[in-house]
Amino acid sequence: MTAIHAPGYPEARVRARARRGTAEVFPPVDAYGRRLLGAGDETAAGGDEWAGDELDSARLVPPVFMPQRLEKLIDLGREPVHDDVDLATTIGGFRSPLPLYVSAFGSTRVAHGDAGLAASRQAGRLGLPMVIGENLVPVGGYRRAAGAESPILARLRAYTQECPPGLGGVVVQQSTEDADSEVWNLVYSDPSVRDLIESGRLAFELKTGQGAKPGLGGMTVVDAADARRLADRFAVRDVLDGDGWLRCATPGTFTEEILRQQVRFMRNNFPRARVWVKFHPGRDVAHAATTAWQAGADAVTVDGAQGGTGWAPRVFLDQVGLPLGECLRRIGRPEGCLLASGRIWEGGRAVRALALGATAVGLGRAALLAVDEDADAGLIRLVEALALEARLLISALGRYRADALTPADLWWPGVEPAPERHVVPIGGRA
Amino acid sequence: MHQTDHLSRQATQGPRPVPLGEHLVASTTRAAMAVQQETLYAAREFLRGRGFTELLPPLIGPVTDPGGRGAKALDVDYYGHPYKLMTSAILYKQASLRGFDKLFYIAPNIRVEPPETAATGRHLVEFHQIDVEIAGATRDDAMEVAAGLLTHVVQHVLDTVPAVLDELGRDSLAFTELLTGKFDTCTHAEAVQRLRGGGHPQSADAEIDWVGEEHLSREADRPFFVTDYPKGSRGFYDREDPRHPGVLRNFDLIAHGGYGELVSGSERESDYATLVTRMRESGENPAKYDWYVKLVREGIPASAGFGMGVQRLVRFLTGLDALWQVSAYPKLPGVVAP
Repeated sequence: MTAIHAPGYPEARVRARARRGTAEVFPPVDAYGRRLLGAGDETAAGGDEWAGDELDSARLVPPVFMPQRLEKLIDLGREPVHDDVDLATTIGGFRSPLPLYVSAFGSTRVAHGDAGLAASRQAGRLGLPMVIGENLVPVGGYRRAAGAESPILARLRAYTQECPPGLGGVVVQQSTEDADSEVWNLVYSDPSVRDLIESGRLAFELKTGQGAKPGLGGMTVVDAADARRLADRFAVRDVLDGDGWLRCATPGTFTEEILRQQVRFMRNNFPRARVWVKFHPGRDVAHAATTAWQAGADAVTVDGAQGGTGWAPRVFLDQVGLPLGECLRRIGRPEGCLLASGRIWEGGRAVRALALGATAVGLGRAALLAVDEDADAGLIRLVEALALEARLLISALGRYRADALTPADLWWPGVEPAPERHVVPIGGRA
Repeated sequence: MHQTDHLSRQATQGPRPVPLGEHLVASTTRAAMAVQQETLYAAREFLRGRGFTELLPPLIGPVTDPGGRGAKALDVDYYGHPYKLMTSAILYKQASLRGFDKLFYIAPNIRVEPPETAATGRHLVEFHQIDVEIAGATRDDAMEVAAGLLTHVVQHVLDTVPAVLDELGRDSLAFTELLTGKFDTCTHAEAVQRLRGGGHPQSADAEIDWVGEEHLSREADRPFFVTDYPKGSRGFYDREDPRHPGVLRNFDLIAHGGYGELVSGSERESDYATLVTRMRESGENPAKYDWYVKLVREGIPASAGFGMGVQRLVRFLTGLDALWQVSAYPKLPGVVAP
């Protein structure tokens, strides 16, 4: 190395790539399995608080006049308070006490073992719908020898043991590689899942993409032994400078007709399961969502660029995909049940997403962190805090149901408000 | 037989299965086997007379017919490779056209059907099909062969084992219209309309459901064809009608009297790019079908064909209440049986 320097240039990054090559395309391997990744993290890692995205820059703006509060007052016969906000809703065909669901985490290491189980138990206790992520079966198998339960069955059982009757539901994702393992068929014909099917609490989610790496399939880091074991099902590549192997799932090929027919195929083949579809934050997300609803999807999930728990190339984390707020803006008034996920952990961002048309919002990284903090009740407490905040905010807006929120409840700095109605001054003195 | 909790709560249609030892000595089983034997004889006679070659089908392969309606294929470990027991040998039928213009199998198939189908009286996990494929044929050609085959088998059984049918209480008058009249045809869309008109909530985008199929079957006095199923309700190998996108050039032959579907068939897709796209539309990964996709890329003949369910046909002939009664070794969906 000579003594040349390039002040103001990302010299350190260039030098790191010169040393380690393709391994620098990814976050440090030693953080894999411990660090949860999503857009904004790389810049925030510099020490500053994450500045937020377009959705966070909106302010919730209560009006002065609140006709819906009057309706509630008449209904109750007393002044309404925040406890009177009814957050119960239907999410993709499932009754839920809150407009919240637990997002998918699949075969990524952070969700392995206890964390995935703890999240399942707590989501069940809360009665919140829960998504079981992709690639669990091709990686962890479906049924194992007596005494050992596969990851997917263990999560299903943990959830159903805790979930109150008539609430919640389990959503099982299937990626291209899962389709090779016929995950939906395995689940649908499994006698241990009968109760969920008969009570209308099983859904299948067609996963077409994810927020953290739009246009790519799932990625994890595996050791050499797993790399050999998985090589016939996944693309496994030695690009991490000897620190492990990159395991890539394929994203799958979709056109409007392929999506429409796959949704119909799901309805035809699994008539007693609900159909969910998950999209990455693609520029045509509104067209895609409409296609899915019209083909009969019970719910469409949009994972904003801030979504993600697992492994993603650095360049995707900060430079690829629409932010969640822009996805919601493009979709506009949804034609069906719209679910939104991406960096949601507290009431403000959740309520803003609901105001932009979402029926419910998903907890991904937040759920994993919460169960990591307390495996028995961490997620429950996190959800209680979010629900309280949501009730405070929604009641402040003069509304008493989550689906009563509208984009008029939001204001963006610098955006011209709609022209005010011309009014003739009344009262006062000339 | 061991019933799962689910099934013990759910009434199955008709008589309940008895232990295998009792079933094998039952008079109905002996009668059904006599009818089955004549059925297979007549089917072979008819098809050989029309220039078909009988091949013996494969039992396992790296992939099988992905099927539909939630049925699952069984895995076997084949020298460390995950292989499937055949749910149907459709992919092999198409491949075989390279050497045989007109072929058929009497093919054993295994489909792990969802337990809820145990109550339909029309599903077994292990069953057999008279599996026919004709190079260069249209849907009409295949329908003509299917109708001819059914008529021939019915006539042969009435001629050879009338006493067996009498013993079972099956009135030969039930087949009069079948033997004299032409089979009617209605489209899937028309069937949906009829069912909806009768108050049954049949989806326009999906297979006719079990209840709907039985309803249509009971209304008829002879077998009839349903054609033009919507894409998304059938496998990727059923050819899409180029003049009516979204509609398949396929058919079912439904028996009258509540016995339901006997035959499923179609013109087959043989164009490589269309087939790969159709695979994606049905959620399949073309790479999984490597051997088949390569063969299609090299070129396979256009064709039409069908599968006629042997047990369903024998049940229709015997008039027995449930499909399990016409199998020597019945395996009902969701029921663990020897």
